[in-house]
Amino acid sequence: MSSSTSTAWKGHKLILALALGLLGSFALAQDVTLQVPAGLIAGNAATIGTNGSGSATFYLVGPAASIKREVELGREISLAAKDLQAAGRYVAVVCSSNCTSQVFFVAPGKPVDLSFIVHPSRAPVAENEAISGVALTFDEFRNLVVTPSTVQFQWSTKGSNPMSRSSQTREGIAWFRTSSGKTAGPLQISAAIGNDVSTRRVVQQVASIPCNLRIKGQRTAKGILVETEPIRDCSGNPVPDGTVVTFTARDGAKMSTVDAPVKQDVARATILAKGPVTISAASGVAMGNELRLSGKE
Amino acid sequence: MQTRFHKRVEFAALLLTLIAGGFWHPALAADSSPGVTLNVSKANPRQVEPLTESAILRDYKFAWGSLGAALQSNSLAPLNGPFVGEAASHLAAEVKTQQQNDLTLRYANQRHKLEAVFYSPEGDIAELHDTAEYDFEILAGGKSIHSEHAVVHYIVLMTPGADRWVIRHLQAVPQF
Repeated sequence: MSSSTSTAWKGHKLILALALGLLGSFALAQDVTLQVPAGLIAGNAATIGTNGSGSATFYLVGPAASIKREVELGREISLAAKDLQAAGRYVAVVCSSNCTSQVFFVAPGKPVDLSFIVHPSRAPVAENEAISGVALTFDEFRNLVVTPSTVQFQWSTKGSNPMSRSSQTREGIAWFRTSSGKTAGPLQISAAIGNDVSTRRVVQQVASIPCNLRIKGQRTAKGILVETEPIRDCSGNPVPDGTVVTFTARDGAKMSTVDAPVKQDVARATILAKGPVTISAASGVAMGNELRLSGKE
Repeated sequence: MQTRFHKRVEFAALLLTLIAGGFWHPALAADSSPGVTLNVSKANPRQVEPLTESAILRDYKFAWGSLGAALQSNSLAPLNGPFVGEAASHLAAEVKTQQQNDLTLRYANQRHKLEAVFYSPEGDIAELHDTAEYDFEILAGGKSIHSEHAVVHYIVLMTPGADRWVIRHLQAVPQF
């Protein structure tokens, strides 16, 4: 055999060896398959099936933890309930001579918890769509429960019949909006799923802006004492203490103003004027009557 | 017969090939900044205001950049700020267990198609759908053990924080 033929033969042997090696490694890679669980629910134990033989390293990468463990191929790999508490996407990998991987999903469990956000904490009475609430459903591991659930919203004030509304969650969220009632006081709002899961919030309904202002006045030794009649909103609720009433006195070309807070439904002020004077009052958008007083007696 | 010049050219070409082959890695070629698009046309019951839209887009993009950095470097620092609540605690636990197991994750060439599906009446909660597409790789002791081009659907809850929108919940689902 010539030297060139010998070199070519050696080259062929090398290529053949490489090809066989590749085929062998491909065959080994094909040996291990993983049977990952389907329809898994968060917080439940599971097993992953393997085939082949020998030892391997198992990895699990999930949304809230990763695991590394030595396993025996051909046996089931056990996953504890605590390893699968987070809903989401998991990648299982087994590495022996090669690595094989599979993806599976864990779904949230039943809703056992509600996050309930209500706005505002204080709302004026008789206002359209002034109050809104959003409820989010979670399972026991705080996974967002995306399958539809029925949330029962209920709201009531003292001495009135409760009102309720059912709403189906859409990807974990249900919401409502409602007008405030006509009576000042606490409004109890609850959100519930069935009889077991319920959460409650309170919105303080407060009087709205003053509706009518009536003032009266008399001269005293110190000036003119003016005061309002009890101030109420348009639903008849007394306005809160601290609501400011502005008294304006016109004495010819001169004008003076005094701001007075409401105290126990009434606002009072003393105006220093000696001549004939016209006094008016305003609070928010409400204007009061005009009071005309003649000069100092 | 080869000249000395030809030999030098061949040697240089071989050297370049070796350098390129030895040092190239998909992550090096990857676009490190996530690409995010946001559609707010289906948001209800409240319309997303233009300023809020741009803030959500900016902060979601930043959050995914931080997530990728945290899980690649096994560092908790990038998670401070863009994530709160369950999302933050899940990712922190992920980083800690990765450190224990000598694992790192790579998210490369990220593309996120984000869609707002719920925006609360008071503007304090937004639920979004993200169809994310990225090259995902798991490395054990620096060696790649899993790589895929993944398309993953996420349900995302975002809330406004002091100076940005933060991710409160990030949950992958098989489909919307």
